[in-house]
Amino acid sequence: MNKLSFDNFFKNIDRILIALIVSLLLIGLITLASASQQNTLLLGTQIINILVGMILLIFLSNIDPKRFLFYAPYLYIASLALLVLVAYFGFESHGAKRWINILFFNLQPSEIVKITIPLTLAWLYHRFQNNINYKIHTMAFVILAIPCVMILKQPDLGTTILIGSAGSVIIFLAGLSLKFMIVSSFSFLIALPYLWSTLHLYQQNRILSLIDPGRDPLGTGYHSIQSMIAIGSGGFLGKGWSYGGQTQLDFLPETSTDFIFSVYGEEFGFLGIVGIFVIYFLILYRCVDMAQKMQNTFSRLTAASLVFTLFIASFVNIAMVGGLLPIVGAPLPFISYGGTSMVVSLTMIGIIMSLHSHKSLIAN
Amino acid sequence: MDLYKFKYTFKNRLNFIFSGLIFLFFLLLIKFFYLQVIRFDNYSSLAKSNSLKIIPIAPIRGQILDRHGEILAENKLIYTLEIDPKKKMDLNKVKQQLSNIVKITKYDIKRYKKTLSESYYSSTLPIKTNITDIQLSNFIANQYKYPDIYLKQKFSRSYPKGKSGAHFIGYLNRINQTDIRRLKKLDKFGSYIGLDHIGKTGIEYFYEDRLHGQPGYKTIEVNAKNHVIRTVKTIEPKHGEDILLNIDYKIQKIAEKAFGKYKGAMVALDPDNGEVLAYVSQPSFNSNLFINGIDETNWRRLNNSIHKPLINRVVSGLYPPGSTLKPFVALAALENDIRRPPFSIIDKGFYNMPNQSKTFSDWKKTGHGEVDLIKAIIVSCDTFFYGLGIELGIPKLNNVLKRFGFGEKTNIDMPNEKRGLIASAEWKKEKYKKKWYQGETAITAIGQGYTQTTPIQLALATAKLINPNNNLRPHLLKESNTSSHMKSKQIDLIEKQIDDLELIKNAMSLVTKEGGTAAFLGRNTSYDISAKTGTAQVFGLKKDEIYDESKLPDKLKDHALFIAFAPSENPRLVIAIVVENGGHGGSTAGPIAKKVFDAYLNGIN
Repeated sequence: MNKLSFDNFFKNIDRILIALIVSLLLIGLITLASASQQNTLLLGTQIINILVGMILLIFLSNIDPKRFLFYAPYLYIASLALLVLVAYFGFESHGAKRWINILFFNLQPSEIVKITIPLTLAWLYHRFQNNINYKIHTMAFVILAIPCVMILKQPDLGTTILIGSAGSVIIFLAGLSLKFMIVSSFSFLIALPYLWSTLHLYQQNRILSLIDPGRDPLGTGYHSIQSMIAIGSGGFLGKGWSYGGQTQLDFLPETSTDFIFSVYGEEFGFLGIVGIFVIYFLILYRCVDMAQKMQNTFSRLTAASLVFTLFIASFVNIAMVGGLLPIVGAPLPFISYGGTSMVVSLTMIGIIMSLHSHKSLIAN
Repeated sequence: MDLYKFKYTFKNRLNFIFSGLIFLFFLLLIKFFYLQVIRFDNYSSLAKSNSLKIIPIAPIRGQILDRHGEILAENKLIYTLEIDPKKKMDLNKVKQQLSNIVKITKYDIKRYKKTLSESYYSSTLPIKTNITDIQLSNFIANQYKYPDIYLKQKFSRSYPKGKSGAHFIGYLNRINQTDIRRLKKLDKFGSYIGLDHIGKTGIEYFYEDRLHGQPGYKTIEVNAKNHVIRTVKTIEPKHGEDILLNIDYKIQKIAEKAFGKYKGAMVALDPDNGEVLAYVSQPSFNSNLFINGIDETNWRRLNNSIHKPLINRVVSGLYPPGSTLKPFVALAALENDIRRPPFSIIDKGFYNMPNQSKTFSDWKKTGHGEVDLIKAIIVSCDTFFYGLGIELGIPKLNNVLKRFGFGEKTNIDMPNEKRGLIASAEWKKEKYKKKWYQGETAITAIGQGYTQTTPIQLALATAKLINPNNNLRPHLLKESNTSSHMKSKQIDLIEKQIDDLELIKNAMSLVTKEGGTAAFLGRNTSYDISAKTGTAQVFGLKKDEIYDESKLPDKLKDHALFIAFAPSENPRLVIAIVVENGGHGGSTAGPIAKKVFDAYLNGIN
């Protein structure tokens, strides 16, 4: 009986996907060990983060998707409430107000929004799936815009873009007309100067330093240049684990979190990067395949949006350390040190697995 | 939209997004290929220079010592508090932060800004120099509070004698943009990396190359926080040489004391080899004020003073030689076989220009009676020399003056030496486009007119009376081997010239005997002094105006000049003195010379 319930416990876990994710987590831990200079406390904390995330993943994979559908709007409202709490009771760090302290840990509500937005928008389109028109799209846009504006005010440009694009992907997948998309992207281009002016000076500088990192080598371009030096000096084969001079010598900031991929690139070289990209490709392929095979609107949109969120976050982080995007301060899912990021990423995978293994439970 | 169409659209669009993400990751792969494979060499070398830092190690500057090893310039260990100008810190905040430990004055901030504007190196700059032991221990105890303030330990130049000898010792100052341009031109800039001071005047300037040495380097590995991880390689610096001077500081001190409050200059030479034993320029200044950049108040006080304390009068002060020129003029006459004793004139107190109604008066209204060349030197008879000058003419006079070094640099080892001037008709024509008058020849013969000399020229010319060696050059640096050729009195003069010199020197020895212009110097001495007094007019008297020293304000008083050597037989020391506004030469300058001779010849008690 015990054995049976134990098997039941894992029955909704996709074996291929979990194998890929675990290999990514292992790479992350190995890199973190080097980046933190074998800081056992940090490594121990990260292992706990992974365990907590894994328990949540397993738990969520066993949840009936109907419950996600049912709770989606409430979760959305709850996450908005948390954002309001941040604005009034949150504490500042690095010049931004993003966190609230709940009992014994610091919560970043914008990370929760990364999950609630896909669920809520999927819920919306699922509910009106027989009558999707511009009104529904407008509603979706409003639902998306409210948390985006709140997060932008914190300020957290990176997360805003991430959530904004994850939401937009759902609207896009839900069949927003091409004509409308073309018109709106034109209007976006026209509005660009105004949007630019609403950005904080440091955000403007970060974007400018991306265009020309040399314009202020010790200022905003510094991290970008240091990161590229670290990666570039890794060469084809890399310098070897714990031999990354740039990262070991602390030229790079935040090597455990935002710049962990620089450490990876420096120590494992181009070959290592090709290796990790293969894993990324397999995860993406597997997830998209799962989403394509899902039977209802809610599941498809949620799964697609969550996968997209994970991969666009990975892309933004890797492009940032590679000098292709401005330094926005976004962690690399599954790899970077940090509880919130780890738990949220594994939660997303858990939800996808639940949606995948309960294909027929929500009838269209 | 029906569900079938929805599913179809979803599938297509999801595939589109899937392809888009694949494309984005492919872009990343290209970027990493570019960074790690194509540009590997570039980034690899960047990475190396990133973590390896070369830190210059400053050499220790040589000391300056007198001939007996007395320290004139040394290096003292001091502590400074420095900040990194790249961090662009608010100076008022720094001031406030440090207020518990040390008071940062307005002057400190001003100096910091001045240093910053002049500094070239991107290193840290001192906000407070030379902190006391108590301030030092307070800072160390609280250092963790000041991560952006660096405590630096360095050697600072120090001049233990202060004002004494300041002109020839010179001083250091921080390297500024002008120095950098000069050093770059001379291709010496490399040896100043890590150093922030350079000699600006005096010996500090002249022997800069020997004193400053060569910096060494330390290659260290650092992290981005600039914390040293390890030392890779060390090349020790080559420390600067100590400079030993010919100056005898005991004599120097006595000479300075003898000068008292008078302004002027004195230089004492060994006639055998040109070694400078004492070198006085008054008034003086405290060299220590300059080391870390002089403050404005002191600078203005020194630079704007009517007494011009910053001028190195020994080499840069230009004075009409007055009657001290007479021995050389007399020698020119002898060499041209005019006015050789027993030729004499009767001096009635004035000289009538030939074919003119113009007369020139003697300093003694009543005249000196019967005067020959020897007496003319002893009593400094102007009348005799007016006539001599007219008879001799400027070109012949200048030939001899040139041989004694007038109008030329002595090439003493001091910067800013002036040439002085011996005037001629050609010179006047070029300079003033005017013709030379015969009257000008007459007054040139008594050392007035256009002629200008520096005290060092007077000293060298006097030394050449004793040692007529063309290679004789006054020098401060004590050189162990090079002076030998000077010691051999290699005189390429014919016998007659030697006799002429003896005649002049004999006349000079009688100046300090009864009847001479410096007779009082000859009394109560254990050795004979040979001398010539001189008085140089500072301003011209109007016709019929009588020069009355006691009624003139100091600054209009005549300059007193004095050249001397002793003992008269086998002279060991030559002295030239100018006392500005000192009135008559013998009475003010003479006693100074006497004290120096006493100290040198009789030993110091």
